[in-house]
Amino acid sequence: MRKILSITFNDMILYFRDPGAVIGTFLIPVVFAVVLGFAFSGNNGPTQVRIDVIDNDNTALSQLFLTNLRQANTALVLCPADNSEDDFCRLGDDPALTEERSLGRLSNNDTLALLVIPAGFEASVEANQPVSVTYRSNENAAAPTFILQAVQAVVQRMGGALVASNVATNTVAEALPFDDDAARDAFRQQAYDEAAQLWAENPFSVSYVAAAGAPQASNSQGGFGQSVPGMASMFVTFTVLISAINLIRERKNWTLQRLTTMPVSRAQILAGKILMYFLLGMIQFIAMFGFGLLVTTILSNFSENVTPLYLGQDALGLLLIMASLTLCMTALGFLMGTLIRTEMQGAALLNLLGLSLAPLGGAWWPLDIVPEFMRVVGHISPIAWAMDGFRKLLFEQGTLVSVLPEVGIMLAMAAVFFVFAITRFKIE
Amino acid sequence: MRQALVEARGLMKTYKRKDGTEVYAVQGIDLDIYKGEVFSFLGPNGAGKTTTISMISGLLAPTKGEATIGGFSITRQPMEAKKLLGVVPQEIALYPTLSARQNLDFFGRMYGLGGKELAMAVDEVLEFTDLKDRAKDRVDTFSGGMKRRVNIGVGLLHKPQLVYMDEPTVGVDPQSRRRILDTVIRLREERKMTVLYTTHLMEEAQELSNRVGIIDQGRIIALGTVGELVQKVGEEDRLIFDVGEQHIDNAVLERFKQVAGVTRATYQSYNLKPAAGAEDSAEIIVEKRSTGTMQIVRSGQVTDGEITVYAKRGRKALPELLRIADELGVSILSVEVREPDLEAVFLHLTGRALRE
Repeated sequence: MRKILSITFNDMILYFRDPGAVIGTFLIPVVFAVVLGFAFSGNNGPTQVRIDVIDNDNTALSQLFLTNLRQANTALVLCPADNSEDDFCRLGDDPALTEERSLGRLSNNDTLALLVIPAGFEASVEANQPVSVTYRSNENAAAPTFILQAVQAVVQRMGGALVASNVATNTVAEALPFDDDAARDAFRQQAYDEAAQLWAENPFSVSYVAAAGAPQASNSQGGFGQSVPGMASMFVTFTVLISAINLIRERKNWTLQRLTTMPVSRAQILAGKILMYFLLGMIQFIAMFGFGLLVTTILSNFSENVTPLYLGQDALGLLLIMASLTLCMTALGFLMGTLIRTEMQGAALLNLLGLSLAPLGGAWWPLDIVPEFMRVVGHISPIAWAMDGFRKLLFEQGTLVSVLPEVGIMLAMAAVFFVFAITRFKIE
Repeated sequence: MRQALVEARGLMKTYKRKDGTEVYAVQGIDLDIYKGEVFSFLGPNGAGKTTTISMISGLLAPTKGEATIGGFSITRQPMEAKKLLGVVPQEIALYPTLSARQNLDFFGRMYGLGGKELAMAVDEVLEFTDLKDRAKDRVDTFSGGMKRRVNIGVGLLHKPQLVYMDEPTVGVDPQSRRRILDTVIRLREERKMTVLYTTHLMEEAQELSNRVGIIDQGRIIALGTVGELVQKVGEEDRLIFDVGEQHIDNAVLERFKQVAGVTRATYQSYNLKPAAGAEDSAEIIVEKRSTGTMQIVRSGQVTDGEITVYAKRGRKALPELLRIADELGVSILSVEVREPDLEAVFLHLTGRALRE
């Protein structure tokens, strides 16, 4: 074990001997994460996003609410009412939505939010009774901020106008009774129209419930919930895949061959080098999340679009996702090292893999916004599984248990890569 | 009776070409290297020296045969065998961005050293290689000779019983070369180490070795002390006449053979080719293959020839040979008289010069 640790420690020193290594490993990824974080923050969502709507009231007021919601943000497609011919809502042959089905759709990312208007919504409002519209969100960087804002804007506008019209109608009725109900309704409508711009206070509120149903306040991440894990995954991939080039370099420098003439086994040499890249990847991951938290905490004091990065409720689960991806990429790096002959080949393959696996796996943008077939194809990339795990932990209040499927798949990939790499690995 | 530290039996290494045919890099080598001796493998580039040693040091697995170090099989008990072995490869197998001390420290740990033992070993090696004052400097700031010394030092850290040095003087200046050769002598004299040395320079093999194995085309073609090997070619001196571009016919050689003491006379011409890209240069630097010296020739004058005369008392025959050359109109550019050496042995056994 001492020899393995010595190889790991020596390789770590060699890595950080290069002044560019610190910049490339820590500074550049943080800059990318911040820039992308801002790009995904605010109201700039995709052109169309799905929201499931279950209208249990189905009255004129509930329909008015939905009409106002459509006007508040034209990017919102209210499913199933606004579904397109090519089934944008992904409802298949059965257009009917139940709350249970929509919750499943939320966890599958088939929809980004669920709005439930309760039965008796109109009656309660007219009677000045409190009533709640339920908003459930599958939080991610691209959608929920502007979805929630749209819902809140409609609530505010309608709530204000309704209160004003009710107050006005009741006041007038006491002083000067209406001739009939029609006159009363006409007056109320007139008052509503005039008051629509004068929102006073909300007669009803939006209660935000996270997708997993945990009693948790909004953990709106803004863009940083996407950019930090995304950029961390991508740059860890690059860092760890460099192991392939370093293997070639060590063979060229003959230091690898020299090690084999010493009382060190091939397994010890491999283990030392694998451990080094695994630790390096983990250090980079943890540093990226740490910097992400620090930067977003500082920036949140200056910008409304930035909220401090929420790291979920299960640190162990987070570490497990990081470790699984790092191990998987380390194995891939060593497999690469057995396939390439020169550093130039290594650099080319590194760029090809890094720059394809990252966007494919949702490191650059959430996979929620890409077509279905791209989401399926994207899961060829281990990064996609890591991003799924991060989303569960950072956005959906997931725990270690909930990310075990993703962890299992990444470890299985790592095992396959290692088997190929070890059987092909030659020192001379 | 001398005790063998290294025993190799039927060592063979073959490679497969892409077309499926086999290339025999080493064709069955049997060898004993005795404790405390400097044993040199002498042979031209590509003869199989490094492949043989790589199999003995565990870097390459033999296709057939076996080697043991101190009784431990390098294939079946590699850890035990490698503890007795220090390898100094031909390449500078060091981490260039680390200091000399950091390199020694790391490789020392790989030999199983640690704590005070390691610190003492590193200090001792730095002292031995005369690098103590540069211990903290990065290796990539060192001269070629200094890098070679660190390279050697790594192989000595654990005080091995056997040190294998693969052409350690390649690419170093004469001063550094002398220093390295002195180091080998000190290893034998002061530390009583067994040294396995490979070289294509017969002067080095001749100076350093207790015994020499001459290797060619993957086989040991001669083995023994320098004296034993030289006896194979008798007591003849070689007189080498540089005749430049002149064409020498058999009549000249026949006249030379008639001189008292001369047993043979041969003529060899070389086509000296300029380096790629330098063909059109007015002057081209070429290496004269027989002597290894560099010379400048004009473009188009890319041939060179020499007459080699074998004579029992070469210096005595020389004036007569020069007179005959003058008489026959052969212009002699230079003459070199060589006493019997390993170069002559190689030539005698293979018909080729070592540097060919």
